[in-house]
Amino acid sequence: MLVQQIINGIVVGSVYALTAMGATLVYGIMRILDISNAGAYAIGAYVAFFFLLQTGSPLVALVTGVVLTAAFGFLVQKFLYAPLMNKSPNVSLIAGIGLFIFLQDFLRLVAGPQARELNFGTLLPSVQFPSLQLTLYGTWFLILAATAILLLILWLLLNSSSIGLAWRATAQDLETAKAMGINTNRVVAFNFILGYGFAAVAGILVGILYNSVYPTMGDVPAYKMLAVIVLGGLGNPLGTVLAALVIGMAETLIGGYIGFFLPRDAIAFVVLILILLWRPQGLLGRRRSS
Amino acid sequence: MKSRFSLSLLILILSLGLMLAGCGGGGGGDKKPAAENKAPIKIGFFAPVTGPAAADGDSVTKAAKLAVEKINKTGGINGRQVELVAYDDNLKPQEAVSIAQKLTTKDGVVAAVSGSYSHTTRAAAPIFENAKIPMIAAYALHPDITKGGDYVFRQSFVGTAQGKAGAFVAVNMLKAKTVAILNVDNDFGTTLADSFTKYFESKGGKVVSRDKFTMVEKEFNPVLTKIKQLKPDLIYMPTYSGTGAQIARQAKELNLGIQMLGTEGIDSTMEFLKVSGATADGIIITTNLNRDSKLKATQEFIKDYTAMAKHAPDMVAASTYDCFMVLAESMRKNGAEPEKIKDGIYKIKDFEAATGIIKGYNKLGEVTKNVQVQIVKNGAFTYYGEITDADIITPPDK
Repeated sequence: MLVQQIINGIVVGSVYALTAMGATLVYGIMRILDISNAGAYAIGAYVAFFFLLQTGSPLVALVTGVVLTAAFGFLVQKFLYAPLMNKSPNVSLIAGIGLFIFLQDFLRLVAGPQARELNFGTLLPSVQFPSLQLTLYGTWFLILAATAILLLILWLLLNSSSIGLAWRATAQDLETAKAMGINTNRVVAFNFILGYGFAAVAGILVGILYNSVYPTMGDVPAYKMLAVIVLGGLGNPLGTVLAALVIGMAETLIGGYIGFFLPRDAIAFVVLILILLWRPQGLLGRRRSS
Repeated sequence: MKSRFSLSLLILILSLGLMLAGCGGGGGGDKKPAAENKAPIKIGFFAPVTGPAAADGDSVTKAAKLAVEKINKTGGINGRQVELVAYDDNLKPQEAVSIAQKLTTKDGVVAAVSGSYSHTTRAAAPIFENAKIPMIAAYALHPDITKGGDYVFRQSFVGTAQGKAGAFVAVNMLKAKTVAILNVDNDFGTTLADSFTKYFESKGGKVVSRDKFTMVEKEFNPVLTKIKQLKPDLIYMPTYSGTGAQIARQAKELNLGIQMLGTEGIDSTMEFLKVSGATADGIIITTNLNRDSKLKATQEFIKDYTAMAKHAPDMVAASTYDCFMVLAESMRKNGAEPEKIKDGIYKIKDFEAATGIIKGYNKLGEVTKNVQVQIVKNGAFTYYGEITDADIITPPDK
C-alpha cells in the first residue's frame, strides 16, 4: 500500500511539474506570473480531443495539441505580453488572468460545459503485483515516461544548447543580455512556445489519466501551480520539479493515511507555508540580499 | 462657470427623464389583476450556467426552455403565453440572492423555479418567501430550503428522505451489513451521508469509514485503496458526475469488486456515463427519473428532450421540467397570481409528471413521490426497483 501511494504521489507530482514548468520558464525570464498558462493546459487538452475525434489517432491528437498550443503561446507573447513589457508587472499579471478567464469561457461556449472523454485507448498495459498489493497503471508509466523525456529535453536545451545559454543569460539580466547582443525577443518567444507546449502536454496527460476534458480543468492548476513555483524558488526549473514532487507526495500520502482533514488543494499551500517558514527562498531559490 | 452650468442642466434633464420613466412605464412592483390583461405570464428561473456546475446548468436550462415551449404549444395558460425569465447564478449564493431580488421586483415574475444547487437556492429562498412569490427548487435537497415558509417548494426528494431511501436500498435490496461512505463535502453530500448513516445504523448496519472530498477532486486512488482493505459490503457515494465518474473508473482499475450505490447526483448521461464508460456498469442509484417508466409523461419528456438536446435527459432536467409543469397545472386550475399559484400547488394530488406520479406536497412544501432505483446496464440507466414504502418516501413536515 505504501509503495502504491508513493508511486501515485510521484505520478501526481510529475503532472504538477509539467503543468508548472511553463509558468516557471516565463517567470525565470520575465519576472511575471503567466496565469494564462493554465488556459493553455485546457486548450491543449481540447485540441487533442478535437483531433482525436477527427482522425482517431492518439499520436496526431497529441502532436497537434502540443504544436497548436505552442504556436498559440507565441501569439500570446507577441500580442499580449510584449506590448505590456514596459508597464508595471501587475499589468501583465492582470492581462494574463483576463486571458485565462476568457479562454475558459471560450471553451465552454465552443465545446459545451460537459466533461468529454479523452479516450486514447490502452496505450500501455497495467501491471499487477497481487502479493505486494501493488497495481501500476499503464497511464502511470505513460506520465512518468513523458515527464522524464520532456524534462531531459529541457535540461539538454537549457544546458547544452546555444539557445539555452541565451535563455540563462536573459534570465539573469535581460538588459545586459540584450547589450551583449543576444536576441532577447527570440529568447522570450521561444520561452513562451516551450511554456505553452509543456502546459499542453500536461493538460493532455491529465485528460488521458482521468478520461475527461472540461472547460474549467485549468482552475485548480491556475492557483496550485503558484504554490509549486514559489516553493521551487520562483523561476528555477529544477526547483519546480522538486517542489512538484514534494507537493504531489504530500497530497497523496496525507490523503491516503490521514484522510483529507482539509480540502486536498489546501495541503499544497500548507506545505508551501511550512517550507517557506524554514527556507524563505523556496527549495532552490536564490536568497535575495536586499 | 459655464461648464458647471451645463453639467447641472444635464443632471436635471437626466433626473427628469428618469422620473418620467419611473412613473410612466409599469415598474415590476405594479400588480395589475392578471385576468384583465393577456400579457405573458413570467416565470423566473436561475441555474449555474457558468462555473463548476455548468454541465447541470446547461441541462436544466434546456429542460426549462422545453417545458415553456410545451406549455405554450398546448394552449398556454388559459390563452396566455408563458415567458421564461432566466438568469445565470454562476453557482454563487450572492449571485442567486441578487437574481432573486431582480425577479421579485424589477422582473415581476409570478413564480420561480430554482435550477441550482442547495447553497445557492438556500440563499435565494427567503427572498421569494418575503416577496410572496412561490418558488420550486427543482433538485436542491438541503432541508432548510423549504423551512422558510409557505411559498417555497421542492420538486425532488429532500436530502433526509433520499439518504434514507439509499439506506433502505442498502439494507433491503442489497443486503449490505457494512458500508464505506465517500461523500462530496458540501450541503448535498453531507446531508445525504448523514441521513443514510442514521437509517442504516438504526437497522443494525455499520459504517466502517467515512471520507469526504471536494467537488473538483480527481485522485481517489489513496482513499479507494484504503476502502479496499476494509472490505465493506457496499460503498455509498453521494456526489456529482465529475467526481463520481472518477470514482467509478479508479475503483475498476483497482479491481475493487465492491458494489457501489450512488444518488441522483450522478444521474447524468453526458458527464457520468460517457466519462466512466464501461466502468459504470453495475452501479445503482437512487433518483427520480425512471427511464423504463410506462408513464406517458415520462416517455414523452425523454423523447422531446432527446430530440432537442441530442442526448438523453438526466435527473436535473426531468425535475426542472416537472417544476414548470406543476406550475402550469396550478395556474390553469387556480389562476396566475402568486398567491393563487401557491395555493394551487398545495392542492396538487396524484399529478402525472416526468419524474413519476406526484402524490402531493406536504405543508412544508416537500414533494411525496416514489423513489426510483436505477442500475447502469450496458452504459444506460435502467429500472432496478422502486421504493413505495410510505415510511421512506414521506418527507418530514417540519
